[in-house]
Amino acid sequence: MDHTCDLLVIGGGMAGLVAGSVASEAGLSTILLRKGQSATAFSSGAIDVIGYLPEASEPFTSPKEGLTAIAGLYPLHPYSILGYGENIEPENVVSEIIGRTQESISWLKKNLRNTVASLYGDFKRNIFPITILGTTKPTCLVQKTMYSETLHKDEENVLLFAGFQGNADFKPTAAAKTYLEDRISLGEPPRRVGNCTLRVSPFSKSYNVSSIEIARHMDHESSIDGLAEQLKPQVEQLGATHVALPPVLGIRKALANRQNLEEKIGAEVFELLGFPPSVPGLRLQLALDEVYRKKGGKMFVGHEAVSYERNETNLTRVTARTPHREVKIKPKAVILSSGKYIGGGLRGDENGIRETIFGLMTVTDAYTSAETIVPSRFTNRIAISPEGQPVNSCGLTLDPHFRPVDDDGVEWASNLYSAGAVLAGYDYSVEKSGLGVAAMSGYSAAKNAIDFIREVT
Amino acid sequence: MCMSDSEYDVVVIGGGSTGTAVARDCAMRGLKTLLLERDDIASATTGTCAGMISSGLKYRGEPDIMNICSSEVMYLLKIARHIVMKNPILVPILDLSLVASDGSYIDAYSEHADERDVPEMVFITPEATLELEPLIHPDIIAGVYFEEFFIDPFRLCLLQALDAKNHGAEIRTYCEVIGFEKSDGEIQGLVYYNRISGQTETATSKLIVNASGPWADKLAQAGGAELELRFNKGAHVIFDRRVVNVGINAKAIDGRWIYLFPHENTTLLGTTALDTWEDPDTLVATYDEIEYLLQSIESVIPSIREARIIRTMTGVRPLVAEWNIPEDDVTRGYEVVDHENGMISFTGGKLVMCRHMAEAVTDLVTAKLGIKKKCTTHQQPLPGNEDDIDIEALSKEFGVSMHALERLRARRGTEVLKILEMTKEHPEWKSTICTCEPIIEAEIRYSIREEFPQTLNDLRRRLRLGTGPCQGTFCTYKAASILIEELDLQGDDFLVDILDFRAERWKGIRPSMRGEQLAQEELAQGMYACVGNLDQSDVDYDLKPWEEGT
Repeated sequence: MDHTCDLLVIGGGMAGLVAGSVASEAGLSTILLRKGQSATAFSSGAIDVIGYLPEASEPFTSPKEGLTAIAGLYPLHPYSILGYGENIEPENVVSEIIGRTQESISWLKKNLRNTVASLYGDFKRNIFPITILGTTKPTCLVQKTMYSETLHKDEENVLLFAGFQGNADFKPTAAAKTYLEDRISLGEPPRRVGNCTLRVSPFSKSYNVSSIEIARHMDHESSIDGLAEQLKPQVEQLGATHVALPPVLGIRKALANRQNLEEKIGAEVFELLGFPPSVPGLRLQLALDEVYRKKGGKMFVGHEAVSYERNETNLTRVTARTPHREVKIKPKAVILSSGKYIGGGLRGDENGIRETIFGLMTVTDAYTSAETIVPSRFTNRIAISPEGQPVNSCGLTLDPHFRPVDDDGVEWASNLYSAGAVLAGYDYSVEKSGLGVAAMSGYSAAKNAIDFIREVT
Repeated sequence: MCMSDSEYDVVVIGGGSTGTAVARDCAMRGLKTLLLERDDIASATTGTCAGMISSGLKYRGEPDIMNICSSEVMYLLKIARHIVMKNPILVPILDLSLVASDGSYIDAYSEHADERDVPEMVFITPEATLELEPLIHPDIIAGVYFEEFFIDPFRLCLLQALDAKNHGAEIRTYCEVIGFEKSDGEIQGLVYYNRISGQTETATSKLIVNASGPWADKLAQAGGAELELRFNKGAHVIFDRRVVNVGINAKAIDGRWIYLFPHENTTLLGTTALDTWEDPDTLVATYDEIEYLLQSIESVIPSIREARIIRTMTGVRPLVAEWNIPEDDVTRGYEVVDHENGMISFTGGKLVMCRHMAEAVTDLVTAKLGIKKKCTTHQQPLPGNEDDIDIEALSKEFGVSMHALERLRARRGTEVLKILEMTKEHPEWKSTICTCEPIIEAEIRYSIREEFPQTLNDLRRRLRLGTGPCQGTFCTYKAASILIEELDLQGDDFLVDILDFRAERWKGIRPSMRGEQLAQEELAQGMYACVGNLDQSDVDYDLKPWEEGT
């Protein structure tokens, strides 16, 4: 079956959905191919813009501060690419990078308003939500159910960590201890924490109760009543002002559930940042899908791009496959947002690192070729450190229009753009910059592709 | 005779297969016994072996060794059958010279087949070979079929240690011997550093048994004696599942024999043999070793590189000091060395012989102490071996999957019942914590209460926690939070435990990282660094020996 469209987006995570939505919003006909669950759906849902410089130990207080540092020190970082646009005076490079990143983050926040992943926070400062390990991390935006503004403000605040019986994803005891030790060493409130375990038994199961099951259960009528009944005596006994739950407050109704629960127990409730399988990741994915569809974008789920045709300058056709059918798509431009190793955009073995669909040139964190590297040599001895693992900084390198370039430094095709984790030059795990780079580059690649498409038609 | 708490008949140094076997034998013969292990049970050489309790086929030039191997396999089948497995093995023959050059192994193996209750070694047709294992190269001209037994080496050591404890021995892990107290050249006792309490402690002992494997020479020296060993590094590559139906033996590119063995839920490809002088704690597999193993097995299993490699593991063989011959030709017999200063050491040996080695040294110890008690370690069952377990009935009764229960049974035999009993009061402990293995929460809690683990790595050795395809990505933090609850540790300990476990897994993952494991590690970094922010944690994390340097 053949399709034509203005823009083809390959990959349905944050970068691809932002790109597809921006293009659809601009009136382009857009098709998005999604192979399977995106890495975005596995994320904690926090939209990190920039938390740390690589190898540094002090977090940035704001994305602005972080982007200024990145622009100065990492000229090939995906954020820095924003500074290479035409007609930008050298003295305006940093403000251009900040301004355009802010524009994409504001677009995201605005478009996710009133969705299941409505966001809290803004570009002016980083916030430090709490994780299911009891640690905190810098991020820019979290879902509105996942943060308490008042928690650290009052000396008398008391925080109760509540887990669910038979849900192995979160044990409140260890998290409460870690968090309290951290607050004591900072000398800041809350100075008292407690923990308790609640029972919800969807399908009357008392073990192997998954976070997704609990979240689905919470969306049912009266589930919150049952939860409040158990939680209220615990809150009163401890004198808790705040309650931290694992991220299971609901899939479709999390925010309403939060408010409902707060009214019933008389304490502020928020969700912790968690690990996959992640309910907030799922909410974010659902919300982004919805934004894209509402703007008129088409989505081919379960379709994997497998081959392409090109002429001298342009990519002309992409073939996608499911187990049951094959579709050929003729787009005017393509955005490749296929992810890194999790997403399947990159694959590595003892012979090197390859981009999986077009065979585009891959580079290392030092912008040397990654085509023949041995992946293990681009790793550090220490598993988890601010130096990260350089193999996670491998990927594609772009021209100022967000087009992947070949080894001659020229774009591989005039109409192929790229965004998200498939890009080289940043290690999102240590920088805390994953979904921020995805949103910024998806937004920017789309803007460039829109200009290109308008020019050719 | 009255002894103070820190006076012993015998102190055994080393918690590997030999040390735990010695402690068990000594305790069963009524000696007041202390075992000191600087790390955890089975945390070095034994913990990195393939678990084969071999017929000794490879060492058929030494008939005594084949005799010992055969009888020891039968003893292990009697005392620890719940942790013993039998694997069929094929030698694919691609070249007539492989048969012509040396047919003696067939006779040597078959001579002992009957007593080990296995069929004689046979030649089979290429068709029969390929039916057993379709991944074998289609151009084979024949196959050789035989069977070998395998044991869970971690459980063997732990059960020996627990049995020693049941017979009155004291087992202290994380206690490193730092010196000896001597008088007139005779060792009177020793000083050790307790890494958990941070205290230095002393013990006096009539005799010391040095079963410290790759550290045996250093300990002998500290005790004022000389001991020469030949240290030899062996590396394995580990695949994510049982990629072959049967074990494969093949000649490597340099003519040595290597193997590809299905092992528990994984497959082991090994091993290399490199003489080594490095600190055993710092050793990791090299790129050369990994490629040597892959290219070697590729000749008989051409598609091996399509299989997913999850990690490598590396250990050091403490061989008898025979020089000027390849590692393969060094005797696999063992030597008991009486330093005649109150210390007795071992060199050489194989996993299958650990009980035999212990009997020999305990005979010497009892003779020296003037005690007349016979060895019974080959007759008394190890814990869990008492009865059969009906997995099907238990699965129905408790609602735990047959798969989870069968894995539980393979580790624990009759202890399955005690663990399931705990879930009557706490049904939530039937939750799966490690989904690769799988392991339920009740087993983790049981192990913490009964098997003295101090860290997640100790739990890994006892339960195979985090040993599957995800290498602990999903279970590390879950198991850590249970450990914190059970041992009532602090929040910092929680984070340190997570970092420790990631470090130990990374040691093996890193050298072979490719393919799907790149995605797995991106996910692990995403969880522990990106979300957990543990790369920025200021907890007191000590770099591991393999993490130091450049």
